[in-house]
Amino acid sequence: MNTQRIGTTALRRVAGNPNSFFTGNVAKIGFASHLNTQTRQVATQKLTPVDGDAITAKQRLVRPVSPHLEIYDKKQTWFGGSAWQRITGAGFSGGLYLFGSAYLVAPLLGWHLESASIAAAVGALPLALKGGLKFLLAWPFVFHAINGVRHLTFDMGWGFSRNTIISGGWYLWGASIVGGMYLAFFV
Amino acid sequence: MASIARSALLKQAASASVRPAFHSSLRTAAFHTTARRALLPPPPQIIEGSVNDAAPVPPPSPSHGSYHWTFDRLVAGALIPMTVVPFAAGSLNPTLDAILCATLLIHSHTGFKAIIVDYIPQKRMPKIRMGFNWLTNLATAVVGLALYEFETSDVGLVEAIKRVWAA
Repeated sequence: MNTQRIGTTALRRVAGNPNSFFTGNVAKIGFASHLNTQTRQVATQKLTPVDGDAITAKQRLVRPVSPHLEIYDKKQTWFGGSAWQRITGAGFSGGLYLFGSAYLVAPLLGWHLESASIAAAVGALPLALKGGLKFLLAWPFVFHAINGVRHLTFDMGWGFSRNTIISGGWYLWGASIVGGMYLAFFV
Repeated sequence: MASIARSALLKQAASASVRPAFHSSLRTAAFHTTARRALLPPPPQIIEGSVNDAAPVPPPSPSHGSYHWTFDRLVAGALIPMTVVPFAAGSLNPTLDAILCATLLIHSHTGFKAIIVDYIPQKRMPKIRMGFNWLTNLATAVVGLALYEFETSDVGLVEAIKRVWAA
């Protein structure tokens, strides 16, 4: 055994079998003044139940609210399939409602929203703009369709394992972008 | 010590003295100063009754609950074949097109209602919620009329989309 080992063994012995003098007196001798500052006097007060409820009510009025969405993991908040399902669906429904209302009042205002005029207007657009607009319509459509089926399977109780949900979310983004590009540029 | 070695040592010392301070300040800043955004600040909290009252449980209503949920899913599921078939088959059936329009309208209406239920709390903003509910009802009636007009006087939804897409 070398000298270092002997030293550590001795240290272990002291730590393993502390003698009562050492542990009992080091605090008193060495750190007594510091320890004294740590004691705190606890003042208790008797309250009636009504007063207690009043304090609870006051505390609840200043409860913190839930934090903003930004503090959570971006993969779950920004790319969450269900949030985009709502966004894409509300976009299409809003578009349908806007177009429907406009179509109804078009004769009164002299607008031309018949399918022939719209087709002619779209046909007159430059190619890049037309392609971009078509992708902006096709991608949310494919996304909403695929994710809609995905959510219907969730509603049947299928595919609820954590890994399936996470990987399915990324497949959803890939498939919807590819499908949207196909519908926009090859159909 | 050779001057070459010393300069290297000095560099090391300087970087050692600067880097930890920079790191710790960066870490502290990232951890402590989360940007405070008062987006949609909450209104003051109110306590109704006493602090220990249980949250009220609404009376059970299947037509607002499970039947409604099932109906929503049936409508959504029915839209899958209705959307795919006319484009895949290339055939134009006015009845099918009208059914597609009606189903889309129902799907949109319940979708808007779900958004209202989720984001406009009945307890805190009962009047705004009622207003939005009736606005949705009115808009659905208007759009239903518009779709009827479109189906009867124009070429139908599927054919219109087809023509605009091919334009």
